[in-house]
Amino acid sequence: MSVHFRLIAALTVFLASMNLFAQLQVEVKDGSVADYNMAVSPLAVLDGTDAELAADIVSSVEKVFDITGFFNVLNQKSFLEKPEVPMDKVDFKLWRNVAANGLVKGTIKGKDEIVLDLAFYDVNGGNKVFGKTYKSTKAGDAKKSAYRFAAEVIKILTKEEMNFMFSKIAFVEKKGESYSLVVTNFDGSGRKVLVGPSSATILLPEWSADGSKIYYTSHKNNNPNLFVVDLATTRIKTVSSYEGLNVSATAHPDNKTVSLCLSKDGNSEIYSLDTATNELKRLTKDVGTDTAPSVSPDGSEIVFVSNRSGNPQIYRMSLTDLSKVERLTEQGNYNQDPEYSPDGKKVAFSGRDEKYQFDIFVIDLASKQISRITQNQGKNESPTFSPDSKLIGFSSNRNGKNKLFLSNVSGTKQIAVYSGEGEVLMPSWSPAENN
Amino acid sequence: MKQIFNFCAVAVFVFTMFCSCAGNPPKDERDLAEKAFADAEPGKDCAKEDYLAAEDILNQAREAVNKKEYDKARELFKMVKEKSDAIVKYYRENPDKCMPGNDKKADADGEGKIKEEETPEAAANPAEDPKNPEMEFPTVHFEYNEYAILADDMPKVDLMAQWMVNFPERVVRIEGHADERGSVDYNLSLGEKRAAEVKNKLIQAGIDSARIKIVSYGEERPIDPASNEEAWFKNRRAEFKREN
Repeated sequence: MSVHFRLIAALTVFLASMNLFAQLQVEVKDGSVADYNMAVSPLAVLDGTDAELAADIVSSVEKVFDITGFFNVLNQKSFLEKPEVPMDKVDFKLWRNVAANGLVKGTIKGKDEIVLDLAFYDVNGGNKVFGKTYKSTKAGDAKKSAYRFAAEVIKILTKEEMNFMFSKIAFVEKKGESYSLVVTNFDGSGRKVLVGPSSATILLPEWSADGSKIYYTSHKNNNPNLFVVDLATTRIKTVSSYEGLNVSATAHPDNKTVSLCLSKDGNSEIYSLDTATNELKRLTKDVGTDTAPSVSPDGSEIVFVSNRSGNPQIYRMSLTDLSKVERLTEQGNYNQDPEYSPDGKKVAFSGRDEKYQFDIFVIDLASKQISRITQNQGKNESPTFSPDSKLIGFSSNRNGKNKLFLSNVSGTKQIAVYSGEGEVLMPSWSPAENN
Repeated sequence: MKQIFNFCAVAVFVFTMFCSCAGNPPKDERDLAEKAFADAEPGKDCAKEDYLAAEDILNQAREAVNKKEYDKARELFKMVKEKSDAIVKYYRENPDKCMPGNDKKADADGEGKIKEEETPEAAANPAEDPKNPEMEFPTVHFEYNEYAILADDMPKVDLMAQWMVNFPERVVRIEGHADERGSVDYNLSLGEKRAAEVKNKLIQAGIDSARIKIVSYGEERPIDPASNEEAWFKNRRAEFKREN
């Protein structure tokens, strides 16, 4: 194959993707669910591979497309073309007939070495846009490959870099009076109990910057003390056990400092604690309650809740100059649960609206504009950003019990992702894993 | 495909509309009705006719819930509550007919409110006698998002102070609690403030601060898990516990 031909091919791909991007961009800006219909064909299972794995890969890719809110993922039942049709023999007319704009199609084969061949086609243009072959020895790795492929397609179509697929969510699962600290994949699959179940409380889990540990508060010694659990070993260590509150830990990017709320000096105040030396530094001093800190991704400032003005509001404070304090919320008289986005541009929080219901809001720090993510859908609390800052996880009781929901940052797409029995409370999204 | 999608959207919309008309089970009304009816029990002989009528309506209301006729159930529960309250009022005003030998209790309660942990004959009841080492500890309540002790509950703190004066070797733990509204973090701070406020009152009454520990449970230990004013009131509290 000549260099010349490759260049033309690359150019074609580039132009095709530009074209698609232009087509999508308007809708993304619009903030509404896009009109882009994505068909993910079942994989052709060639030999030896588990059909269940093939189906799992397809539904995982569908879920990724769906939650971004950029695509309408089409129902497989409507598809007219069989999965077995070779990848270079796609009949685009059949896909246009089911209103698809884009098509993902592929093959999977092998058992000891799983070979996953995936391609993305522009149905309107009638051409293949992007294709890749992935080899892996484990089913889990094959699924990760499919996520990488989906991330590539999303990037081609929307220019958005997303890595939420390579992350986990920790939360408190409460059944009656019993608490567990649970970790799942971003989509609620792969449930693992890290701590519990226990009748002592387990509260406010928070990931360490390197994703290897989770901080949480428990009353197991009859005082709300701060603990840390190692994900690999599940070993638990006490981090802070001052008399009174040791709560709301937020992990700094240096991977050893945590800021937290202590009440040892007679009132809820925020301190930073060097977990290596146990050196403690007081950050706030106010007669009101100061709590719920969330540190910025560069570690230079925190946002927190204070009722110093009379009711709970969100403030930000520089950690290099503690006198630099700015109030971020003016609307409403009960704003809480602030959480920095990992890109440092936004702060999510939950606020009580005129109907006395808590909803999720996002402040854009540059413009100070506040956008509303949830409305008229029960109580929505404890927002947490995905590592790429593209999605927000939160706890909502819109269907009865408190459950884990994910939303895109515009709030146009919201889905429940975990079907466990108990209540899902206080979710915390992990940093991105290496992928 | 699009047509199918549109059809689905319309279907979902219509379904949602339907749901909002039919509403949710009338849980609050039911709780209030069931409680009011239970409270009316002392009047079942002296106000027999009304009592049986209330019972009948309550059964109809429960039946309506089972049939998912929530609006109907809601109205019926409200009727049960009204009827039951009237029975309570009647037996309180006519203690001789309804509760021979127990007229004091009826007078003390007033207004149809049922006290949770106290019987009115405080002084006579060893469970509430500060000279009794096994005295039952009271519970102190608070307004929403406040940590000032309700004026009505100040005598409870005084009673506790008296008990601690009488038993100087005893150490007490005050547990502060919040209702479910608001964030877990903020409610932990609020519970702490409530417990600290009660502690301060005991210190002002002369109790050594070393004998008073405090701990906040925030919203984690509700007495009543329901989501209504009555439950929230019960849950915003400070409790006393024995440390030794």
